[in-house]
Amino acid sequence: MRLGIVGNPDNRRVAMFSAAVARAGLPAPRVYPWREVLLAGRVPGPGTTVRIDSPGEDAEVDRLLRELGGGRAAAAAEHGEIVGMAAAHAGLRRALDRVAAGGGDLLSQGADILTMSDKPRCHALLAAAGLPVPPALEPVHGYEQLRTAMRAAGWGRVFVKPAHGSSASGVLAVAVSGPRITATTSVELAADGRIFNNLRVRRYEDEAPIAAIVDRLGPDGLHIERWYPKAGLGNRVLDLRVVVIAGEPGHVVVRTSRSPMTNLHLGNARGDLAAVRARAGAPAWEAAMQTCVRVARCFPHTLHVGVDLMFRAGWRDHAVAEVNAFGDLLPGVLAEGLDTYGAQVAALADGRYPRWADAHA
Amino acid sequence: MTINDHLTTFAGLPVLDWDHEESPPDPAAVAWRLEVEDFEADETELREKFESLLERTGAAGPTALIIGEWGGAYEQAFPTDLLVRNGARLSGLRALFIGEMVGEQCEISWIHQGDITPVLEAFPALEHLSVRGAEGLELSPMRHEGLRELVLESGGLPAAVVRAVGASDLPRLTRLELWLGVDQYGGDARADDLAPILAGRSLPALTRLGLRNAEIADEVAAAVAAAPVVARLTELDLSMGVLGDTGAEALLAGQPLTHLKTLDLSHHFMTPELAQRLVDELPGVFVDVSDRQEEREWGRYTAVAE
Repeated sequence: MRLGIVGNPDNRRVAMFSAAVARAGLPAPRVYPWREVLLAGRVPGPGTTVRIDSPGEDAEVDRLLRELGGGRAAAAAEHGEIVGMAAAHAGLRRALDRVAAGGGDLLSQGADILTMSDKPRCHALLAAAGLPVPPALEPVHGYEQLRTAMRAAGWGRVFVKPAHGSSASGVLAVAVSGPRITATTSVELAADGRIFNNLRVRRYEDEAPIAAIVDRLGPDGLHIERWYPKAGLGNRVLDLRVVVIAGEPGHVVVRTSRSPMTNLHLGNARGDLAAVRARAGAPAWEAAMQTCVRVARCFPHTLHVGVDLMFRAGWRDHAVAEVNAFGDLLPGVLAEGLDTYGAQVAALADGRYPRWADAHA
Repeated sequence: MTINDHLTTFAGLPVLDWDHEESPPDPAAVAWRLEVEDFEADETELREKFESLLERTGAAGPTALIIGEWGGAYEQAFPTDLLVRNGARLSGLRALFIGEMVGEQCEISWIHQGDITPVLEAFPALEHLSVRGAEGLELSPMRHEGLRELVLESGGLPAAVVRAVGASDLPRLTRLELWLGVDQYGGDARADDLAPILAGRSLPALTRLGLRNAEIADEVAAAVAAAPVVARLTELDLSMGVLGDTGAEALLAGQPLTHLKTLDLSHHFMTPELAQRLVDELPGVFVDVSDRQEEREWGRYTAVAE
């Protein structure tokens, strides 16, 4: 088996997958940098088994994706700046087409990656498959439209998510009652109207900045979900990241926060998995894991999916918050002695992945 | 910070959901938790669940009852008439918690409450009342001979409620806990509003006093330092607020506190030196000065506000 990785070579994801391949005694995978995919069209060819990794955390790759998708010159974003998410998604679509055209055997299908990084589409797919998701409204494109849609639905509390955002980027938890409004978010509104992801979750209690942020995010599309009240433990709100590899939900982390944003990378802490399992109880835990497996079955020709799973406050049920195409970066989390990368290499090497994919296609 | 955990015990009893599959051997020996799942559910749903619960608890109803989300808590008060009109079916009720919600369900400063006086009037045998959230909360001065514990948790407790507590006659009350909160969320009480409580005349049995989560913590400490009621207390709790060196110095300069069992000052902004002096000068008292806060550019925050 000849392996290749499309990724950002400096990113630790690439190093960790390569290390897992080396541990399995397989030849080192060849790396196809996103930058070269985008600039020179260099992609893996037939006979290569291809892992497609995140194009994120590289400012130049982000700029190139926005340029490709937007069809015009794009400036580099400042650190943390939220800009051009729809263009970047369109660029990713074209870049993935290039990768597919190369003829390699893809371990994540381009169509699946695109669905997972399109929140309204992913939500619709999961809902159609009968999976538990919070109810959602039609996408909106601005603040007035958001408020009108909330009124029409009779919803006072929602999560506003950029249609093409990753993790917590640009997400606002909004509550409205009469004249009162509050938004909890990691978005910082700069004086010049630009918006940035900030490590500190903040609260806005005036309508003007909330409207400004939503209007800034709006043109790229906003997915609106009803606020699903998440369970807590140890006085922190929690959800799970469950990485399902070839149908096996072996790698789980508990993400906890003092704010509604459990999926921020910084400022939040990993929680106690055993305590959460105990609190949920065996039947509820098993049902939650089954949901994650069913999510993975929606993407049968993709080796891994990262499911963000919420338990409801009171632990009566659960729902899927997101599905992540590049959600397998869980350093130090082992299942049967293997990290997420090792488990993927093993599922390829011992034939479990092709068998699972064939069974659910 | 927000409250993110539900209670697992209340009034000394383990908490059980109203629809828990297994019935306990003695339905009077648990604290029943009644709540609707959908935070926008309409009132009939709560009433239906209340009826189901009463079928499980027998003729006297629950001993201890926790009410979580009642449907639309972020914009309308708990319908107290549900309890008041069913007083005869709740003759066993001794402990009641209205609004035990976590921040994910409804943040404390958003929880609407109404006038809780009718509940106290309808249940003269009630021994413990806890209320979370104070948006719209009202209380009229009253006499209640059964109440032993009263806890009002809030991100901002209206001064009128504080004054009503002080003007009430609560001869058996041993524990009073008020989360005063911040002005931004309606916590407009000042030390003067606390004066009748601190005088203690209408609270002859009081031994545990908590004036917590206060933006006016320094002012509260100064008032407490000279308050007659303190001599009878075993526990004094000024935690969760923004207590700083000013308040600490007032406590050090005030009346003796060596008779206390515990003095809880956790979540504070005192310098380590002042905090240590309080510990050193009160040997034999458990002085909790943990969870020291650093002042940030946006000021001092109470532990629970929004």
